[in-house]
Amino acid sequence: MTSTDTGQRRRGTDVRPVITDLMDEDTILAVAGDAWISLVGEDEVLVPIPGDLPGDVLSSWVDVVGPWTGSVVLTTGRATAEALSRALLRETAPEVLEVEDVEDAFGEIANVVGGSIKAALPGPSGLSLPQVGHAPLVRNPADVCRVEVLWRGEPLTISVQGALPPLPVPSS
Amino acid sequence: MSLTATSFDWVRELVRKESAIVLQPGKEYLVEARLLPIARQMGLADVSKLVETVRVRPDPENTRRIVEALTTNETSWFRDGDPFTALTSTVVPALLAARGANERLQIWSAASSSGQEPYTIAMLLDDALPNAASRVSITATDLSREMVQRTKAGRFSQLEVNRGLPAPMLVRHFQRAGTEWEVSPTLRRMVTASECNLAAPLPRMGPFDVVYLRNVLIYFDLPTKQSILRRVRDLMRPDGWLFLGAAETTLGVDDSWERVVIGRSSAYRPLKGA
Amino acid sequence: MRALVIDDSRAMRRIVTGILTNLGYEVRDAGHGREGLDVLDEGWVPDLATIDWNMPVMDGLQFVSAVRSNPAWRRMTMMMVTSESEHTQIVRALAAGAHEYMIKPFTADAFRDKLALLGLLPQEVAL
Repeated sequence: MTSTDTGQRRRGTDVRPVITDLMDEDTILAVAGDAWISLVGEDEVLVPIPGDLPGDVLSSWVDVVGPWTGSVVLTTGRATAEALSRALLRETAPEVLEVEDVEDAFGEIANVVGGSIKAALPGPSGLSLPQVGHAPLVRNPADVCRVEVLWRGEPLTISVQGALPPLPVPSS
Repeated sequence: MSLTATSFDWVRELVRKESAIVLQPGKEYLVEARLLPIARQMGLADVSKLVETVRVRPDPENTRRIVEALTTNETSWFRDGDPFTALTSTVVPALLAARGANERLQIWSAASSSGQEPYTIAMLLDDALPNAASRVSITATDLSREMVQRTKAGRFSQLEVNRGLPAPMLVRHFQRAGTEWEVSPTLRRMVTASECNLAAPLPRMGPFDVVYLRNVLIYFDLPTKQSILRRVRDLMRPDGWLFLGAAETTLGVDDSWERVVIGRSSAYRPLKGA
Repeated sequence: MRALVIDDSRAMRRIVTGILTNLGYEVRDAGHGREGLDVLDEGWVPDLATIDWNMPVMDGLQFVSAVRSNPAWRRMTMMMVTSESEHTQIVRALAAGAHEYMIKPFTADAFRDKLALLGLLPQEVAL
C-alpha cells in the first residue's frame, strides 16, 4: 500500500455511510455463526462456501433504521427454511410444521441475526419486527454486504443491504 | 466437502491425544468449519491441505491451533460463584486488615483461559474497594498464547458475556466494540496477562496473597499435582489463600495446607512450619 | 416455581418454555406485553417473567414499567430476553426495573447461568 485513505471523501458530513464502510463479511459470518450455534444447535456450523439457491426460495428479514438504514435478509430454499425451523424447535417441534411455524421460526432467526448486526452499527437504531416472503429489492448495489454459506450442505445467503437508492454522483 | 476420511481420522486422533476429547464420526463438517479459517490464514486451499501440511512437517504451534479450534468451550463468568463470594466477604477484608495501607494486594489467576476469571475478580474488587486499581494487581496466566492475547485484549463475544455475567456488571464494566464487548480500561489496568506452564518451573512472580488455581489439578497425575502445589506455595505469602476447583482438594495430595471453610466454599492456607 | 414467557415469536416461546419446563417450572406464555398483563390480572403471578423487547401491541419495556407500577407484582423477577443488544438499551431496561438481561442468541446453558444468578435455578436440578 502506498496511498493513505484519509476517509474524507466517504466520511464527509453530507455523505451517508454505505454498509461496506461499517462492516465486512467476516463480521456477518461471526454473528450468524453464533446465532446458529446457540439457536439451531451446538454443532450446527455455517461453512463459507457459495452454493446455488434453488428456484423456490424464502426470505426473512428485519429492518434497521438509524444512521444506516436497511435490512438484514436471510434467503434459502423453502425446504431448508423448514429444516432450519425444525432444528430450532428441536423436541418442541410439532409433528406437522405449518407454514406459519416456518415463517415464525425463520423470522426469529432474522431477528436474532439482525439484532447483533444492529449492535455493531452506529446507533441509535431501531429494529423492526421480522417479515417473511420475497426479499426487499437491492436499491443500491454499492450498499450491500453479503455472505453465502452452506448449512448442512444447503445454500443460504445473508445480505445486509441498504434501503436507500444511491446518492447522485456530484460532478467534479 | 474437501475433508477425506484419512484427514478426519488424523485430526480425531490428534485431538484425542492432546485433549482427551473424542470427536464422534459424523463430525467431519465441524472439523471442516473450525479448521477452514486456519487453512485460509496459512494460504492453503482447504482443510485436507492443512492436515497434509501439518502431518508432513509437524509444528507445535499449528498443532496447538488445530486442537484449540476444536476444543474451546465457553467459560462462565461467576463460574461456581462461591469462591468469588468468599473473596469479598472474608478474604479481602482479612488481607486489608493485615496489610499496610500502601501495600498492594496481589492476586493470581492461574489457568485464566480467555480471561473471565481474572476480570470477574477485577470487577468484584472494583465494585468493593475505592481506587481498586491502585490497591490490587491481578496476574493472569495461561498455557496458551492465544488465551493470553485474548485476556490482554479484554474483548468477549456476545455468547461469552451471556454466560453468567450479571447485566448490571456488564453495563458498568464493559462497552460495545463492534459485535463484541470490551472491558473498561480500569479493569484492564488491574490485570496483567502472561504465558505460564504450571507443570514446569514457574517464572519469578508474586508473592501472592490469593491464588485461584481452579480445574487445573484434575488434569495431572499425583506427582505433578504435588509439584504444582509446592511451586504455587513458594510464590504465596505465608498468610495467603488458595482456591481450587469444586472437585479438587489438597487432601491426600500435599499435607502442607490447611483447609478453611468459608460459607459454601473452601480455601486452603499454607500450614505454618510445614 | 412459575414462569411467564412473553415473546411474539411462538418458536421462541416454545424454546424458552422447553428450557424452563425441563427445570421443573410451571409455565404460561403470552404473545405480547398486554397479554402478559392479562395473565397477571387473573391473579397468576409467577416467580419469573422472561420478556422480549420488540413485540406488537405492547412492547417489553412498557410491560416492565406497568409491572413496576403495581406493588402486588413486586416479588416477580423480570428478565429481558431480546435481540436488542446495545449498551444503552440494556441500561434502559435495567433502569425501567428489569432485574436481568439475556441477549439473543443464547444457549440453554446460558439461560441456566442467568437463573442461577437470580437464585431461581431449582436446587435439585442444579448440576
